[in-house]
Amino acid sequence: MSSQQVPLSLRDILADILEVPSDEITPDLGTETLESWDSFRHLQVVLAIEGEYGVQFDPQRIAELTTVSKIQTELEAKGVTL
Amino acid sequence: MQNNSEDRQELRSSIKEALAKQNPVAVVEQSRSLLASSNKAADVMFCATTFSGMADAFRDVLGARPLRTYIVRTVTVEPILPYLTVEAVFSNYLLDIQVGGYGSYVDEVLNPASALAKFKPDLVLFIFDLEDIAGRLSTMCADGIGAGVDEEIENSVSRIAHLLKSFRAGSTARILLQGFVVPDMTSLGDVADANLPQSLPNSVRQLNQKLAALCGTITDCVFFDVDCIAARIGKMNWQDTRLFLASRLPMSMGAFHAYSRGLVRSFSSLFKAPRKVLCTDLDNTLWGGILGEDGPEGIATGSAYPGNCYLQYQKYLKQLSSRGILLAAVSKNNDADVREAFQLRSADLALTLDDFTATKINWNEKAASIRELAQELSLGLDSFVLVDDNPVECEAIRQQLPEVAVIAAPLQEPWKLIELLSTQPFFDATVVTQDDVNRASEYKAQAQRAELANNVGSRDEFLDSLGIVCTFVSALQAPLSRSVQLLSKTNQFNLTSRRYSSAEIEEFASAEGGQAIAVRVRDRFGDAGVVGLALARNRGDSCYIDSLLLSCRVIGRGIETALLAHLAEHAVSTGAKRLVGEFIATKKNAPCADFYLDHGFVRSMQLEQAAAGSIFYELDLTVSVPGSPKWITLEGNELNELSASAAVSA
Repeated sequence: MSSQQVPLSLRDILADILEVPSDEITPDLGTETLESWDSFRHLQVVLAIEGEYGVQFDPQRIAELTTVSKIQTELEAKGVTL
Repeated sequence: MQNNSEDRQELRSSIKEALAKQNPVAVVEQSRSLLASSNKAADVMFCATTFSGMADAFRDVLGARPLRTYIVRTVTVEPILPYLTVEAVFSNYLLDIQVGGYGSYVDEVLNPASALAKFKPDLVLFIFDLEDIAGRLSTMCADGIGAGVDEEIENSVSRIAHLLKSFRAGSTARILLQGFVVPDMTSLGDVADANLPQSLPNSVRQLNQKLAALCGTITDCVFFDVDCIAARIGKMNWQDTRLFLASRLPMSMGAFHAYSRGLVRSFSSLFKAPRKVLCTDLDNTLWGGILGEDGPEGIATGSAYPGNCYLQYQKYLKQLSSRGILLAAVSKNNDADVREAFQLRSADLALTLDDFTATKINWNEKAASIRELAQELSLGLDSFVLVDDNPVECEAIRQQLPEVAVIAAPLQEPWKLIELLSTQPFFDATVVTQDDVNRASEYKAQAQRAELANNVGSRDEFLDSLGIVCTFVSALQAPLSRSVQLLSKTNQFNLTSRRYSSAEIEEFASAEGGQAIAVRVRDRFGDAGVVGLALARNRGDSCYIDSLLLSCRVIGRGIETALLAHLAEHAVSTGAKRLVGEFIATKKNAPCADFYLDHGFVRSMQLEQAAAGSIFYELDLTVSVPGSPKWITLEGNELNELSASAAVSA
């Protein structure tokens, strides 16, 4: 999978928060594949995305948003234009 | 929006460039700009990541202070840490942070083999949630009657006291104890919360006050009033109940920045001494308008808008000075115009010229003026703050005197000046002592004399401008102990260096035609106290000056001449026709060797044969009587009292 499949704005945020190069942000990147993406980092990711797109995730959903593609789907489901 | 996002991208690339060049000044400057215009978490994280690759340069080039920082906590702080490290860099600290476990704080603090102890921190932050420290309080306060509330507060305070004191006993790390955000939206409701003394909000306020007092009793420990930060940004903005309940995150992301700023400002007071001097410009800063153009009646100050913006600033300065911050007026103006303005508009100004420890009102470069001030006050440039509306002046000081903190007064928005000042940590102090409060007057006298000596052309003019007043009193009432002390301690300006006892001084005072005079000196800058003494007695028609001395603090201002004149006048009134002076040389009293010659006496060889080691001088009082310098005002002249009583008895 390619980073091109991830919308630019989301890719940039994730690159900053996860501290990885933008072209490594692929849809299947997630808590299982990136060691530094631990629970605290996950909270940071959620906060940054909520702040950027003006949405709030249900806490029970937060734990399930474990990959880039899941986050993207959730945002789209909330009506965010990426 | 587009522009903003372009700016943002541009700033980010220039930060990356500066990072590649390892240019810490540019990195910090650009990062400040970026975060001033963007509150995006991604940008804060970007800066934090950049900074971590610059640590060595921050330390070596900017002199940033590395702080091994341990966070003892019961809440989630991890997402806040990038904000905290970035804010710390902006205050020139490099935080190396380690975070403790949620539930293990007691062990961390008390166990000498804990992770905290092993970390050997420079700084420890204690960040607790109310539930963990005073968990029963919310239930106890629910009925508003609050049985046991006081006891619960006391117990909570003593638990924390025990923790902090135990920690202090084993470590010299600086301590920050965070207080509690005062809860709202309780079951009692706003009205009862406000009106019942034992409501939860009131109880937590009380708890906070007691914790602050506790911190005051522990060395290098500061209380961080987080409630003040929460209130400032608004509690609705502060709270994110969802994430507190789900992740124990104590505040919303929108509060991270203000929180980190407040926290860094708070612990900074443990590492940096407060600045001591505020230099303020006058035109468009202390008052509105330009004195040279608008005239004293045209400048804006006073109770009506916009003058009240400036009045508010003046009051703020006055308050700073009341706790020992020195004020200096630094302005390009004519000194006389400024004096006139302060006089004519005194009713509309909250400050008088007297409130300023020093003034530099001239046409010199402000950098030169501030350098002079630093010298006159014997303070480092890093003790100075300049407030000035002129961006060119501000920039000049930033470049020439980088140690000086510069505040650009907002020309178009004068009501914002106080906010600008109060958000700066320059004058932060955890304690204010009586010495601080007295500092202003001490420095003032020192600075003003130095300032006058610089400015006034001739010596006479300088002395005249000092406004010296000499008060003559009997040496027995100086008090007598002070007279003895002066005789025993004065070396440089002491003509005979005779060390007399109290009884011997009393003899001079009571002898027929005897004199024992002390002189007290003050000038417009201060009271020097009793600093001079003369002892004389008459023999036949001659008055012999046995001792004459002056403390070296006041030499060179004509006080010795005034003392001699007073003595001579008294001698004449008791019938003396000749004044005899005596000088005994010592290793130290060369400065007064020519005292009598300078005052018209002639040497008398005849008398010297009688007393080895002494040089005698005489003055014919029927020809001339020494006069007092015209710049000295005389008080307590016994002659006047004598002649007054003579007039009454006649």
